[in-house]
Amino acid sequence: MMRDRHLLLMILTFGTVLALVPSFLFAQTMYVSREEVKLTEEKSPTSKVVETLRRGAQVRVIEKSDRHFKVQAPSGKTGWVFKFTLSDQKVSGGSGDLLSAVTGDTRIAAREASSGGSIRGLKETSERYATTKHVDQAAKEAVQRMEDRVISREELLKFQREGSVGEFSEETP
Amino acid sequence: MNGTRGRTWKRTWTITLLSLALAGGIVDPSWGILDQLLSPPADKKSSQSKGQQAQPSEPKGLIDGIGGLLGAKEKDLDLIKKGLKTVQALQPIGLEEELAIGQAVAMEAFARFGGEYRDEALTTYVNLVGRTVAEVSDRPELTFRFAILNSPEQNAFAAPGGYIFVTIGLLKTLKNEAELAGVLAHEVAHVTQRHMLKTLQRSAILANLSEFSISIMRKDPQLFSNVIDAATDMLFEKGLDKEMEFEADTVGIEYTYRAGYHPNGLRDYLTTLKSQEGMAASRFFSTHPSTVERLKRATGVAARYAEARHYPYLAERFRSRMGPA
Repeated sequence: MMRDRHLLLMILTFGTVLALVPSFLFAQTMYVSREEVKLTEEKSPTSKVVETLRRGAQVRVIEKSDRHFKVQAPSGKTGWVFKFTLSDQKVSGGSGDLLSAVTGDTRIAAREASSGGSIRGLKETSERYATTKHVDQAAKEAVQRMEDRVISREELLKFQREGSVGEFSEETP
Repeated sequence: MNGTRGRTWKRTWTITLLSLALAGGIVDPSWGILDQLLSPPADKKSSQSKGQQAQPSEPKGLIDGIGGLLGAKEKDLDLIKKGLKTVQALQPIGLEEELAIGQAVAMEAFARFGGEYRDEALTTYVNLVGRTVAEVSDRPELTFRFAILNSPEQNAFAAPGGYIFVTIGLLKTLKNEAELAGVLAHEVAHVTQRHMLKTLQRSAILANLSEFSISIMRKDPQLFSNVIDAATDMLFEKGLDKEMEFEADTVGIEYTYRAGYHPNGLRDYLTTLKSQEGMAASRFFSTHPSTVERLKRATGVAARYAEARHYPYLAERFRSRMGPA
């Protein structure tokens, strides 16, 4: 008897709360999926930066538009971010790799280090494969050049701004 | 007995209320309160006698927690865990291994498709468009790299680890930057959806392995070589599963939209491709599903992005970067 009453009470509590809480509240927490994301005053990457968020930071979505979300950072500050830099799945923190920061390629993690000890380059396994399979030296060097190519953040943002793409793409009028 | 039942109800109530608090965002899951409650009650008899060494034990997981609550015996829990480990079979291929496979496949791509097309400005341009798409993909932490192959035939492909290739033959048939973004986004989608890795994992080469790691590759170079043979055969000759190609079209169109390009880019390129079917010699036709079917599906998918009608094609910038035909 006592047990049935407990069960009934529990079901009633669950049902009432679920009915009262609007569904959007369940999806309001998101995570920064890029190494670094600028929280800006307006819906534009060129507007004043309020704070820089790191990969994995948890934010609360306050307002949504076509391509930007207004969020509250863990510090309590609010601002706009390009919505595709957020994920609704929990994201682990950034690499914090000093060498990556120096080279400007913030997405190269330390674990990608090559056999040669440099941050970029061919892996030991691929090197050995190239030797045993007698892969053309030119092909090997071409892969090395792919590895070596650095596109700086500034260059990418300039390109996107000129074409109104990426973070600079416009909201629906 | 009544005391035990009371404690169980108290615990169940606490879990219920905490779950609601978690759902409402009042409590952060990282605080670990729920994990603590789900773990079985401490065994009072387990305190060890003096001089007896503590045995290292496996960390308690969710199975132990729920099992403890339901009163399951430790022996039964071990059986459940063993069963789960058997079902797990080959673990997903990790990032280190993915990059090693990608590099070896990339070498083969250059070796088989005319080598590198050496045009620094054009390669930078392809990388800028590719990275604009890749950074809004579902694997933003991966560094995608783009190269042009010096082959007149129309082709594009993706090796695991984010090594993307497009032939100069294909580039010359494109009309604008949105089409280029569409083609590159299709390839990026193959990587984010781990299409090749999933196919390799299902292949006979890795059938009897429970793990495919760098250390195994080092110990058995022949196995690594066999994996690369299978990957290149799939990529350059047989093609991926039809459904994977359709998925790459759908996901790629989403990435093109996220990147701010007109989502009709891929559809428009497929229209060009269809008009050349039977005339242009390309392995593209034999390694991909029917262009008619792809075009039909891509048109339907692109039409869903009505709000992106005003997004740019950037035909002029594309022409200026490509130079005279």
